[in-house]
Amino acid sequence: MKCPMKVRKYYQIFIYSARNQLMYLPAFLGRNMFFVLIMFIFSSLWRVIYSGKDVISGLTIAQVLWYFTLTEVIELSKTKISQEIQQEIKEGGVAYTLARPFSYIVYYFFRAMGENVVKMVPMMVEAFLLALIFAGPLPGYFVALPFGLLIIVFGLCLATLWQLIIGLLAFWFEEVSPFDWIVQKLVFILGGMFFPIDFFPEWLGRLSKASPFAFSAYWPAITFVNFSYSRFAICLLGQVVYGLALAGLAAGLFTVAIRKVHVQGG
Amino acid sequence: MKSTLRASTFGRTLRLMGMYFRFNLSAGMSYRGAFLIQVLGMMLNNSAFIVFWLILFEKIGGNLKGYDFYDIMFLWSLAATGVGMAAVFMGNAHQISRIIYSGELDVYLLQPKPIALNLVSSRMMVAAWGDIIFGLLLFFFTQAIRLDSILLFLLFSILVALVFTAMRVLYHSLTFYLGNAETFAGFASEMLLSFSLYPGSIFKGPAVWILHSLVPAAFVAYLPVRLIKHFNFGLFAVLIAADLAFVAIGMLTFYRGLRVYESGNRIGTRI
Repeated sequence: MKCPMKVRKYYQIFIYSARNQLMYLPAFLGRNMFFVLIMFIFSSLWRVIYSGKDVISGLTIAQVLWYFTLTEVIELSKTKISQEIQQEIKEGGVAYTLARPFSYIVYYFFRAMGENVVKMVPMMVEAFLLALIFAGPLPGYFVALPFGLLIIVFGLCLATLWQLIIGLLAFWFEEVSPFDWIVQKLVFILGGMFFPIDFFPEWLGRLSKASPFAFSAYWPAITFVNFSYSRFAICLLGQVVYGLALAGLAAGLFTVAIRKVHVQGG
Repeated sequence: MKSTLRASTFGRTLRLMGMYFRFNLSAGMSYRGAFLIQVLGMMLNNSAFIVFWLILFEKIGGNLKGYDFYDIMFLWSLAATGVGMAAVFMGNAHQISRIIYSGELDVYLLQPKPIALNLVSSRMMVAAWGDIIFGLLLFFFTQAIRLDSILLFLLFSILVALVFTAMRVLYHSLTFYLGNAETFAGFASEMLLSFSLYPGSIFKGPAVWILHSLVPAAFVAYLPVRLIKHFNFGLFAVLIAADLAFVAIGMLTFYRGLRVYESGNRIGTRI
């Protein structure tokens, strides 16, 4: 059975983008030495916090460190397409992209995901090695791996949808970086980027776990380090629901934005 | 005679920095909206880490190997103010590698001004104003406000700015010898900043030696925390001497490197 044309072209965009990203992989990995540094600092910090304690908030130090590497995989693999979209809208290049035979937002989504996936694979290897060195082995890692990879990719989908929405705001605002910063900080705090939400005060923890930000950091990482099928199901369900909501928001924004575009021939 | 000459050189140097400052500030302010957005964004960025420490201390209670929440806030306020000052007054330091390997250094060599200072202070990073404002606000809201603590804090901030810039100059000066040390210099500068934001007492082993030498976070952050809590003249003298030594080593490495610099005969202008 042949793939419908519509799906095939986005698949091709994904593949071309992934291939293109492969060329820049060594440079990307070189830039990620910061990951090693922050892992050293965090392992020193958590070692002090855990001295004399085996478990805090139901998690061991190994789980917390592995958790941190996984949230970083999502954050560091994410492609910042909001800047590119902003630039295109500012400079007027959007007129050319709109004329092409594909959906503007679906195109950008698949292009970014192509890059994300290529970055994610070596980042997962780097995270595995770092966590192994600094925290020791994580029981159940390989059982959780196939499920974990799926929800990390879905986490990246959510992060990409946020990027898409932020980029589209350039139709209304000259500079979209502040929106990017706000969403990023919300993922840092409410999403549980630095440590599991289980450490939060109860009221904040409940709010954070239900927020969309947690589904691109906390839920994929905690499901990976403390695997259970029920947790996996909650994570996947939340990612699909929020994914659809964010995709709907992006599509709505684009529909309104496109009415503002005036293309003059020349 | 010699001391008069030195004083006038120092005065001229300060005047040069002042002129760069005024010029760069007016250039940054010409896009007022973007300027304000960058400043606010930087403040927001830093605030996220305060929430991180608040939650962590609420969970663990007490202190972290001698550091309580307020000590960590001091580290953050000092680093934000000092590194912010470095980026505002000497914001070109992070570009030295690129300037060396692209041959743009020729432009600075031809000007009748102290090369290192002319080079580092010729650019301002506007977003760093956000760091300075954030650092000062954090200090005033989380620390005991006394005249002596304010004066010490301002002095330490200036020292952080000087040492941080000197270390950046040192790391980037390796480009004179290695071809392109830009990635290494960026990473080493990042290390210095990152280590300065966490309690020094959590690190042990060889890391402690590194933090007193190659990445001198101990002199940028950990000693000032001790001094602001319990002032001690001996320790204060050690800090000043060490900081001046790091500045001297940074300058020395740069000027030594200049000797092996080969011009690319690139023609350029600074606009």
